[in-house]
Amino acid sequence: MNSWKHFRAVAFGLAAILVAAQVKADGAIGEHVNNMKAHLDDYSEEVSWMIGKIDEMVDTYAESGVEAAQPDNVVEYWEAVDFHSAIETNYIPLYASIWQGLFAVKGAIEEEQPVEQVRAVKSDLDAVLWQSLGAVKVAAEYQARGMLPPVANTEAANPVETVDIIKRELHRVVAKYAEKLSDDAIEIVQQTYLTRFEGIEGDLISLDAALVEDLEIDFNVKLPKAIQDEKSIDEVREVVELMQSKLDRCRSLLADAEANRSDVF
Amino acid sequence: MRRRAFIQGMAAAGGLAFLPSLRAATSVDELPPLEGDLTLYLGRGEGGLYENVLKAIETRNPKLKLGVRRGPTAALANAIVAEGKAGVQRADVFWAVDSGAVGLISDAGIARPLPSDVAAQLQLAFRYDNWTPVTGRIRTLPYHTGRLSAEQIPEDIMAFPDSGLTLGWSPAYASFQSFITAMRLLEGDAATKDWLQRVKRSGKSYAGELGVVMAVERGEVDVGFANHYYTLRLKAGKPDANVALAYTRNDAGCLVNASAAVAVSDKPLATNFIRYLLTEQVQSYLAREAYEIPLVEGVAPPGALPRMSAINPPEIDLTALADLRPTLDLMRDADVL
Repeated sequence: MNSWKHFRAVAFGLAAILVAAQVKADGAIGEHVNNMKAHLDDYSEEVSWMIGKIDEMVDTYAESGVEAAQPDNVVEYWEAVDFHSAIETNYIPLYASIWQGLFAVKGAIEEEQPVEQVRAVKSDLDAVLWQSLGAVKVAAEYQARGMLPPVANTEAANPVETVDIIKRELHRVVAKYAEKLSDDAIEIVQQTYLTRFEGIEGDLISLDAALVEDLEIDFNVKLPKAIQDEKSIDEVREVVELMQSKLDRCRSLLADAEANRSDVF
Repeated sequence: MRRRAFIQGMAAAGGLAFLPSLRAATSVDELPPLEGDLTLYLGRGEGGLYENVLKAIETRNPKLKLGVRRGPTAALANAIVAEGKAGVQRADVFWAVDSGAVGLISDAGIARPLPSDVAAQLQLAFRYDNWTPVTGRIRTLPYHTGRLSAEQIPEDIMAFPDSGLTLGWSPAYASFQSFITAMRLLEGDAATKDWLQRVKRSGKSYAGELGVVMAVERGEVDVGFANHYYTLRLKAGKPDANVALAYTRNDAGCLVNASAAVAVSDKPLATNFIRYLLTEQVQSYLAREAYEIPLVEGVAPPGALPRMSAINPPEIDLTALADLRPTLDLMRDADVL
């Protein structure tokens, strides 16, 4: 039985224990992500379940107020579903948007905003969840055709692949920030710079030194500062998106340089 | 285990640590073919250039079955030590971007001795008995050519705070911290802390060492502290850039650090694989494409660097640079981190 089904089946007092077990497993990605097509029905059911649970929460808020609604549970619902890692491993920008939506609902209830406003925020979250389910369905189809590599700890074997990894890591930064895990987000920025970007900047300097310097400032100053200053998720995302476009330029420069490289022997 | 195969007389001579070439480097054509299974732990380094070397070696040796585990250099060094303690041996060779990491393996007694002919290929100052430097990088002083000539740059790194020059630095940068570690080992903690505090008063801080070099080129500062390749690469992309390199003499200011290879298993294949990294072809490739400094005798450095015999790096055991903690503590104590 899936953990979210456990969650649905037991009394709410027990739910915290189950969720704790799920949270412990956070980061350990289940094998289901390497066979998503077989789990699409489960994912669909999970999304419907989540939307229903949060609907109930909003209804409870409307009828009985904040305390009865228990808005903290939005995070626990999300961490209880396998769909969580399916979208996390396939489309991290939407994963970040889900977290943003979850905290928007939680925040709207905690701030005791009018019910109509809470429902509007909830409606945005529903849209992102359905959009994410669609993205996972597309990814599952590609995976079934053998067009997606297995999910694993990947290591780049050339500078172009390194750029792709850097771009993925930057999406994770937004996701972690949206999860309210600022320290984790900054750690990813620092590690990505030290263990990824520094490895390719040597090549890039002779190709476009100003671009490299610009990205160094983004990695070391602008992005960490936006996180430390607790800017909105959209503002942090804006910094990342600008970096992504610069990294696209890096990718193109590095691909051209690699094509013109001399032989070793 | 950090024994260094110095010729004592050469160590005393200091300034003669880099000699003009005495012999030709080994050609890949002289080496035996590589055959069999070999597991390489590869620290992330110069983009895909190390990967290109591996691909070339595999193409040349179709009977070699090379397995590569990639990761951050320090993490792989820790993995090798942990595997050694557990009695498991997965790696045959470790190619690290930073020689400090091999100190960890050497200290743990896991590094296998290399045949003397391997060390004999290296320049005298870079001969070790159980690991080998592969290519080097040197600490330099990029200066603004519109304002200064090389003669106006102090030859003593400790003289910079009082030089009247405006200085650029990047204290958070890993290479800078290795340089400070070398300064600590050579000059002592008190003198190093004093240097840091005095440079901080007049220095301008940048996010990275490319930022330092770019700031020098723009004229924001007179001189910077940076590894050599930033300037060489900038000059490759912008030949008229207003920056050139100066060097101190026999102190941490011209420290040569190195990438390194170490055999972790007794397979002759492991040693022969390392021999390929020291060939004229691989050394030239890394000099040409990555601006790294060949440490094998008889291979020319990247074109824009002076002759090696004109540079006087300090005598220091590179594996001693592995422990950064005292350096970071000192830098925090000096309020520069």
